[in-house]
Amino acid sequence: MTAGAPIRYADLVLDDRVHDSVYTDPQIFEEEIDRIFHHGWVFVGHEGEVPEPGDYRSRELGRQPVIFARGDDGVVRVLMNRCTHRGAMVCPYERGNSRFFTCAYHGWTFRNSGGLVGVPHPEQYGDSFDRDALGLRPVPRCDSYRGFVFASLSVDVVPLVEHLGPRVLAEMDIAGDLSPGGRLEVTAGVHKFGYGGNWKLQLENSVDGYHITHLHRSYFRIQEERSGRDAMRFATAASPALVHSLGNGHVSWDLSPAGFGGAAIERLRNTPGWPRDYYDLLVSAHGQARADEVLSHGAGHVAIFPNLVIIASQLRMIRPVAVDRTEVFIYPTLLSDVPPEMNEERLRRHESFYGPAGGGATDDLEVFERVTAGLRAKVDPWIRIDRGLGREVVADDGTVSAQITSELSNRAILGHWRRVMSGEASVRLSPRRSTEE
Amino acid sequence: MLDHHGVEQFLYREARLMDTHAYDTWLELWARTAHYWIPCNGDDIDVTRHVSLVNEDRPGLEDRVQRLKSGAHYAQDPPSRLSRVVSNVELDQDSSPDALVVHSTFNLSAHRRRRLDVVAGRVTHRLVLEDGQVRIATKKVVLVDNDDTIMNLTYLV
Repeated sequence: MTAGAPIRYADLVLDDRVHDSVYTDPQIFEEEIDRIFHHGWVFVGHEGEVPEPGDYRSRELGRQPVIFARGDDGVVRVLMNRCTHRGAMVCPYERGNSRFFTCAYHGWTFRNSGGLVGVPHPEQYGDSFDRDALGLRPVPRCDSYRGFVFASLSVDVVPLVEHLGPRVLAEMDIAGDLSPGGRLEVTAGVHKFGYGGNWKLQLENSVDGYHITHLHRSYFRIQEERSGRDAMRFATAASPALVHSLGNGHVSWDLSPAGFGGAAIERLRNTPGWPRDYYDLLVSAHGQARADEVLSHGAGHVAIFPNLVIIASQLRMIRPVAVDRTEVFIYPTLLSDVPPEMNEERLRRHESFYGPAGGGATDDLEVFERVTAGLRAKVDPWIRIDRGLGREVVADDGTVSAQITSELSNRAILGHWRRVMSGEASVRLSPRRSTEE
Repeated sequence: MLDHHGVEQFLYREARLMDTHAYDTWLELWARTAHYWIPCNGDDIDVTRHVSLVNEDRPGLEDRVQRLKSGAHYAQDPPSRLSRVVSNVELDQDSSPDALVVHSTFNLSAHRRRRLDVVAGRVTHRLVLEDGQVRIATKKVVLVDNDDTIMNLTYLV
């Protein structure tokens, strides 16, 4: 590919394969940052990370630094992390609690809600100086659903609920309703790791049902020995578990047909201590039907294009750094209003698999680096994503479903990616109902 | 239990076993009831409410060793090549005849696939006697970069 020549995205992602330049071409990466991360909806954080007035997190939208903060007025905002005077970053810390952000350069001081409140020695500015017009700039668009906060650096986007679509909203409802308190607590810290490879490898892998039984067998075999249960059965080619394409590049796993419903609920009800207490709390909070529904469906994975994955006990944020460099931030979630020992158990289970010292996710990252190394071999530049092609089922609402080891997940993510990148359908358009998703 | 020299020799031996991936022999250094802890995002977090990098009791340690020996823990296939210096060994005043509290520091070079990582931190061991042998009851590793992005920490620290 000639540098600078227009990229023909329709030629790079086909129904059954994807060209390796999608993961390795620096020009494509630059255009992704511009079109996907600087012009579309991007996940910024969860309100549960900033529960108290003044709580803040520094984040990036693509390459642009923002402050994700709860103001003294209780409102959660996303503000550009740039002094309106001479441009210095006003918040140099990754997290904290502060009533004000004071620029180190000349001392301009902003409230945690953005307003400019302090300008040292203002007398040289004259009468036309309009302090009210010089607050920290809010992102052009910001919206949230069930505490999940998204922002867009472009005004010209569809409403967030339209970008997410009803099925993703329903998944967020489940994530919230797994707590008797109806909300996630995201105060348990963060596992930060990364790999030498493209960001889409982690997004696609988060809903790749085919790799579990091979790549993660060193982890799950030990789980099986300890529990006496078949821990990988949900991800075999005979599993009744499903993968769904929800439109706009969003993909979910539904493990409930593979026994994550009935059997898991029975185990909760029949185990004295926190499991039974949790079940009872959930039933009294939401009613038995809803409790059983969220428990049945709450074990899945939901990949939300382009940078968020919701997994039963975590939120995963994917941060593209360079075409061959990605950071993965995993926030374990705690449930609200449950027995404390349940949250402790969640954390211990999380630690054993995830994070840079975990026994599972580290093997994912290893494979992303091996893929990146392998893609240097150029005799055949195509990557196959045709597993299960033609076996999908399309529902009335447009959701496309397939067996969990189908590569429908890759086709859905990359199909949307192609439409955004080629301008065929931009992030501004509504979900397209197509079996190619 | 051990004098200062004996404590140093114990820590050096543990370091060599970790450097050479002598997983089973390393596991034998641990007490029957053990706790291995590497905090995350800070040095003194509350593990009941906050995630750690490693927070394992004896069964968790055994799982870790079993995974590393499985031949299918790809993040250590091939294994990292390791060399660490252990220093600043200090017997804490809280030590008793039954349990030694030992502080030390380490600086580890980890090489794998053309990348050389430096890992450094402070360690506190609690050593006890079990069947006449010195064993690790608890080990806490405070990494200098425990709040930063860490690429691969699947070898033993």
